[in-house]
Amino acid sequence: MTVELEDSPRPAMVGRHGPWHVTWHGVRTVARLELRQRVRSTRWIVALVVWFVVVGAITLLATGAMGALGGGTPNPSRGPVLFAVVSFLVLGLGLLVTPTLTSTSVNGDRNSGTLATLQVTLLSPAEIVLGKVVAAWVASCAFLVASVPFFLLALGLGGTPVRAAGAVLVLIAVLLAALCGIGVGLSSLTARTAGSTVLTFVVVAGLAVFTPILFGLTYPSIDSQQTVQVWGMPATGWNGTDNPPPCEWRTETRTVYHTERTWWLLALNPFVVVADGSTVPAADEPYASTSPFAALRQAVREARQGGARPVNECWSSPVALLTTGDAAPAPSTAPIWPWGLGFTVLLGAAGVATAVRRLSIPQHKLARGTRVA
Amino acid sequence: MAVMPSAAPPPALSPPQGGIVTRGVARAFGSVQALAGVDLDVRPGAVTALVGPNGSGKTTLLLVLAGLLAPDAGSVSVAGVDPASDGLAARAVTGWMPDAFGTWDSLTAREVLATFAEAYLLPPAVIPGRVSSLLDTVHLAEYADRPASVLSRGQKQRLGLARALVHDPRVLLLDEPAAGLDPRSRVDLRLLVRRLADEGRTVLISSHVLSELDEMVDDAVFLSRGRTVPGAGLAAATEGRRTWHVRSLRVGALQAWLTSVGAAWRSDDESPAPASGTPSSPYARPVPATPPAPADDEPGGVLLDVDGDEGAARLVRDAVAAGVPLVSLAPAGGALEQAYLALEEERR
Repeated sequence: MTVELEDSPRPAMVGRHGPWHVTWHGVRTVARLELRQRVRSTRWIVALVVWFVVVGAITLLATGAMGALGGGTPNPSRGPVLFAVVSFLVLGLGLLVTPTLTSTSVNGDRNSGTLATLQVTLLSPAEIVLGKVVAAWVASCAFLVASVPFFLLALGLGGTPVRAAGAVLVLIAVLLAALCGIGVGLSSLTARTAGSTVLTFVVVAGLAVFTPILFGLTYPSIDSQQTVQVWGMPATGWNGTDNPPPCEWRTETRTVYHTERTWWLLALNPFVVVADGSTVPAADEPYASTSPFAALRQAVREARQGGARPVNECWSSPVALLTTGDAAPAPSTAPIWPWGLGFTVLLGAAGVATAVRRLSIPQHKLARGTRVA
Repeated sequence: MAVMPSAAPPPALSPPQGGIVTRGVARAFGSVQALAGVDLDVRPGAVTALVGPNGSGKTTLLLVLAGLLAPDAGSVSVAGVDPASDGLAARAVTGWMPDAFGTWDSLTAREVLATFAEAYLLPPAVIPGRVSSLLDTVHLAEYADRPASVLSRGQKQRLGLARALVHDPRVLLLDEPAAGLDPRSRVDLRLLVRRLADEGRTVLISSHVLSELDEMVDDAVFLSRGRTVPGAGLAAATEGRRTWHVRSLRVGALQAWLTSVGAAWRSDDESPAPASGTPSSPYARPVPATPPAPADDEPGGVLLDVDGDEGAARLVRDAVAAGVPLVSLAPAGGALEQAYLALEEERR
């Protein structure tokens, strides 16, 4: 072993200060370490194959089911529906898989004694944390890539613009990256790997499952009796013999649900984020949407508008008349997905910040039940 | 004692650059006071043992020195740098080997070392050569491209040592480095550690296997209940009164001579005859106190407290002059062990 005692610090060390110092070299070193460790375990290949088979099987079953329901004639909404099925399936499975990639990355390393040896190197805590996040994110993106054939299949059935598929993939990738950050943060907070995994799944469930449930549960508490403008047939009704009388505006007192107070619960949902941000065009006519994404987007945007808006009950005349009515504004077209995406990304950033703080050395306080090395 | 050159210089008064100096280091974990006042002076160019019972704070002290834990109080200087305030500079010159070195199971030994070389910001061009020479140093070259999971515990330990050396540190903190090593590897470790110290590095080794430390250390620091024990060191251990094992061709003659000069001796376990100095007990057959049985013509030995090396020299001279057929004269147990046991007795 050649040995030379150096008196001057290494040139590369100059300017490395603080826990937040980040270089690509440092992040790459950690990320490559994590990926090598992960990719070589056979588990990983098995997981990828299982993923491909599950997504493929459900996609093909959905295609077959729609073909059977269509009774042989190609249903024009087949493509958009399949696209929505594949998107939600990939997002849902991604939400299940990603927490397991990061939620043990800090406390698991600590338990196996590999974390402290990395901490005493010249890497900054931020480089270690970001390296772990990047590695987990790349791994979860591999699952996304494995699903691309099924997205192509859905596109091939028509009805979905290519950019929608691009938007969905980008949105899912960003959501999963945020989830990686959340997992790393929780993993640095918890001593036991089982604890952090459960916590990460709770956060995922909170975003994906609890938000619509809460929205539904709060629904009865946000109603009020209110006067509403109704566009409909005269109160005298239609005797059924002549042409129906022309619709007219009238004022009625009705039960109104103020979903404008709770719509943000839906906005936080990753599925809503993907549906709203998918840019799948709505059908030309309301109530005739052929894409589940467009329908979901429409529903959430109406919820944002709340209940105290004019109601169209004019069943007898063409809908187009309503839209020309100056007192009947269409739901705002302002996008909803930035809210949910922004919130999730904020959570992820908070997770990264927490982990960096927890990995900064020398440590002053130790979390209960943890050892340094 | 085999290793210790008596010419070892006394601890320097002003700790030289490059060593480890701590004053009054304290660290508590909740209500547990792990370190309660550690004053340390570790010389560069020497191997210093960190000795203490389980739970005395050895590992905690090494974590503080490695810059992983912040001390609650006290000052620390590692190679002239305070790891608490300038952690990066301290980490750049410190190699720390934890007691349990985890490895990434899927990585090969070569990849583990290369990763750490990158993490220590070594220039990419020198990394392959550096890794190969380290693998040679710890005799893992033939396992270089096998996954770390197939390495035995001792091999992992050696990989951990190589990892601590990857950035050519000036200060080495080794926590139980010999645990799990086979005799051959222990000899290698001893030679390597000696060489590293001779190159001018500061080496601090913790262990509670005292015999293995005895063979390689120049100095010792005793840690007890989170404090360094003042005055207890290897010098005190070598110079102070300690027990020697004296063997003779005819144990009877040795015992008779020792009794005649008034030396307090004890029988060692292998001696055939009951010692005359043993007080009679109600459960044992009374034995004639004096004179010792002349039948003790067999070889045997006794344990004897001797005042340092000089006392031992006098003993040899007098015994030979008195016609006692001496065979050997050696400290019973290592110097560290005796100093350690003396420490334990003081505490009681």
